[in-house]
Amino acid sequence: MTTRLERFLAFSADATAFTRFELQGTGQAREYLDTVVRIAGDTIVDRLLDLHLHAKAVAAASGNSAIMEHLLRRDVLSDPRLGPVARNIVKMWFVGIWYELPREWTEAFGAREGDVTFVVSGTAYAEGLLWRAIGANPPGAKAPGYGSWALPPHIPALAAH
Amino acid sequence: MTADMTHDVVVVGAGVAGSLIARRLTTEGLRVLVLEAGPATPSTFEGYLQHVQTFYAASGKGAESAWPPAIGAPQPDARDLRSDNGYFVQRGPLKYGSTYTRAQGGSTLHWLGVSLRMLPEDFELRSRYGRGRDWPLRYQALEPWYRQAEREIGVAADVADQTHHGIEFADGYDYPMRRIPPSYSDIVLAAAVDGMSVRLGEDEIRLKVRSYPAARNSIPRDGYRPVGAVDIRPDGLGRDLYLGERCAGNTSCTPICPIQAKYNAGKSLARANPAYLTVLARAVASKLHVDPVSGEVRGVEYQRYEDTSSPRHTVHTAHGRIYVLAAHAVENAKLMLASGLGGASGMLGRNLMDHPSIYGWGLAKAPLGPYRGPLSTSGIDDMRGGAFRARHAAFRVDIGNDGWRPTTGAPDTTVVDAVQTRGLYGADLRRYLESTLARQVRFSLNAEQLPSAANRVTIDPRYLDAMGNPRPVISYDIDDYTLAGMAEATRVYREVFSRAGIEDHTDPEHSTWFPEVPYAGGTMRYHGMGHFAGTHGMGNDPESSVVDVDQRSWEHRNLFLVGAGSFPTMGTSNPTLTMAALALRTADRLIAEMGRSSHRQQPYRREQGRSRDLSSGGYTEDRPPEGLGDRL
Ligand SMILES: Cc1cc2nc3c(=O)[nH]c(=O)nc-3n(C[C@H](O)[C@H](O)[C@H](O)COP(=O)(O)OP(=O)(O)OC[C@H]3O[C@@H](n4cnc5c(N)ncnc54)[C@H](O)[C@@H]3O)c2cc1C
Ligand code: SF4
Repeated sequence: MTTRLERFLAFSADATAFTRFELQGTGQAREYLDTVVRIAGDTIVDRLLDLHLHAKAVAAASGNSAIMEHLLRRDVLSDPRLGPVARNIVKMWFVGIWYELPREWTEAFGAREGDVTFVVSGTAYAEGLLWRAIGANPPGAKAPGYGSWALPPHIPALAAH
Repeated sequence: MTADMTHDVVVVGAGVAGSLIARRLTTEGLRVLVLEAGPATPSTFEGYLQHVQTFYAASGKGAESAWPPAIGAPQPDARDLRSDNGYFVQRGPLKYGSTYTRAQGGSTLHWLGVSLRMLPEDFELRSRYGRGRDWPLRYQALEPWYRQAEREIGVAADVADQTHHGIEFADGYDYPMRRIPPSYSDIVLAAAVDGMSVRLGEDEIRLKVRSYPAARNSIPRDGYRPVGAVDIRPDGLGRDLYLGERCAGNTSCTPICPIQAKYNAGKSLARANPAYLTVLARAVASKLHVDPVSGEVRGVEYQRYEDTSSPRHTVHTAHGRIYVLAAHAVENAKLMLASGLGGASGMLGRNLMDHPSIYGWGLAKAPLGPYRGPLSTSGIDDMRGGAFRARHAAFRVDIGNDGWRPTTGAPDTTVVDAVQTRGLYGADLRRYLESTLARQVRFSLNAEQLPSAANRVTIDPRYLDAMGNPRPVISYDIDDYTLAGMAEATRVYREVFSRAGIEDHTDPEHSTWFPEVPYAGGTMRYHGMGHFAGTHGMGNDPESSVVDVDQRSWEHRNLFLVGAGSFPTMGTSNPTLTMAALALRTADRLIAEMGRSSHRQQPYRREQGRSRDLSSGGYTEDRPPEGLGDRL
């Protein structure tokens, strides 16, 4: 139906509880998608995104949003091949780091070139969602201004899903 | 060219001690050569930004992560402590856990900037409490230079907060900038803690959360102009960037303040008189040549390298009338020892100190908003002095604004744990992060360490760096006096947590690795504070000290060893402000002496543009001198 980038954003929005608009606003979506495709390969990424879309569609048809969580956990997060990759996408969004895939994964599905722990880029670090989630700024970037730290933290409300 | 030039003063090391001296002497028209072992990249704005990028890209963001060393000027790194294959050769019994930076600007590139004065009683530990030693000068004698140092490095604080334990300020004095606003977590903690009392032996001590002086730009007082980011151009002139004149809350003071709102020694060097200053970076002083009869220093041999990734170098010698070693407490001692100048007293390299420190961490009931603002803005200073010092070490409590980062690697590790181990994503993940990270509190409890001859820096021909210079060989232990203080500090932080309703999560078994020390049937985990001191202690007696009260070597009268190496004891204050005050005092001694004994030399180069009015003394100005203007 849609481009891979759009499907990636749809999955990422559900996986991070940040809206697509917020995710797009970081400017990082393309870089993260490229990173996961480069390391995990097209097949795995497409499969993961398809299953997410499927879960979403089933939940929408049934009118029961809990079904999506159930399907996502069963088909993606608990899947030995897709789960670690999905979790890496979440971590990438929050921290800006690609974490080396677990050993069990590499043993079962083969080592991938470039699969080491690394900061995806300087901007990835600065755009980590973690900081917004707790009302803070990434150290060394996006300084909130003199004296801002004397006020209570502003923790953004969770978007209704 | 420079090798053959004769300078008035040769300074080894462009850290804070060396840069302050260079600035003051050049302002008085003395010709100063500064030899700096590390690269000069931090002194241009472009170069500095490269270091910011290095920091962004580092997956571990420790104190050294923005400052990778040159092969020719290696440095300690906290990451090497556990594996024990770093720059230091650790002889034990305990590991010395601190680090420093060898680049132009020195360790102030990554310091935090806490700038407390020492207490008057710290200068008289022996006569008041029968411990350690007395200093050869008293607080009152150093006070004028404390004021100057606070102006030179730009300290933000309110005198009203700082008059405790007999600390006195000159009439009408206040710091050049107003205090940095305390963090929200400081404010909430203060509401719970202020006024509570704890017992230390006989002493009942009332606690107060106190904002501390910081070398970090804030709202100026009385026409003082904060000094922001440095950009020194190839002709030696600086350019004003109008950046960093106010701290903006980047929360990365250690390892790097991206806008240079925090003081680094490059700012002092940038404000030296360029007509009288020559700075030679990538020049590692390796040996002092001494006249065998008079004991006077005749030259400094140094190794010049071009490529930071290669040990290839050429050897030169610099000559001056006076030599100042400002290479850091460890490197000063090393250079003396490598030159065969261990000295008759045998004190050189001995009495190495630090502030061994332990962490306490917990969760507050409500969000306190950590991970914001300068990494720390307040502390509890009430245990820095008192009669208990006859029995155990004094200590101070730093209140962190960066949550559990130093103890568990949070917040990154928290995300990894939540996603990986707890299987969280989406809204559950965010709720979890909010409920943990936003409530984190961390104290750092820093204990005084007394001088001990067995704690020392030596060299050993078996351990050399890539350019053939000795690596520091360190013997280090923490005695019962300090351990007892650390144990008391642990008890106190628990009482404070309990009073403030903070749930204690301190768990060194499941934290970042720290060296351990056995005590009273258990173990304590400690870390270093970067507060190296005591390797060339000052005193009134050549038998038991290396330098006199002016930091002049007893045995080599045209040689000065400056920095915290000169401290006989170090109290509980972070050392740099006191080291800066001593350095300025030494510079004044030199000016008085050299001004008398010689005619003025020609400057190295003509002063460019409008000449600066040297008679007014640049260091008393409120604004950076004209040289920093937009003349290029
Ligand atoms: C993480 C951390 C945080 C800190 N926070 C604080 C704080 O909040 N408050 C505080 O007071 N202190 C703090 N400190 C300590 C502070 O950084 C040092 O006390 C101070 O910078 C030492 O100044 P210095 O001039 O003696 O040495 P440095 O600043 O280390 O400067 C020495 C210079 O000499 C150069 N050099 C070394 N060897 C040679 C050689 N052979 N030839 C030529 N040049 C040489 C070096 O490259 C360097 O530029 C902290 C330290 C650390 C590690
Ligand atoms: S909080 Fe930020 S701007 Fe302020 S001194 Fe620290 S790093 Fe610099």
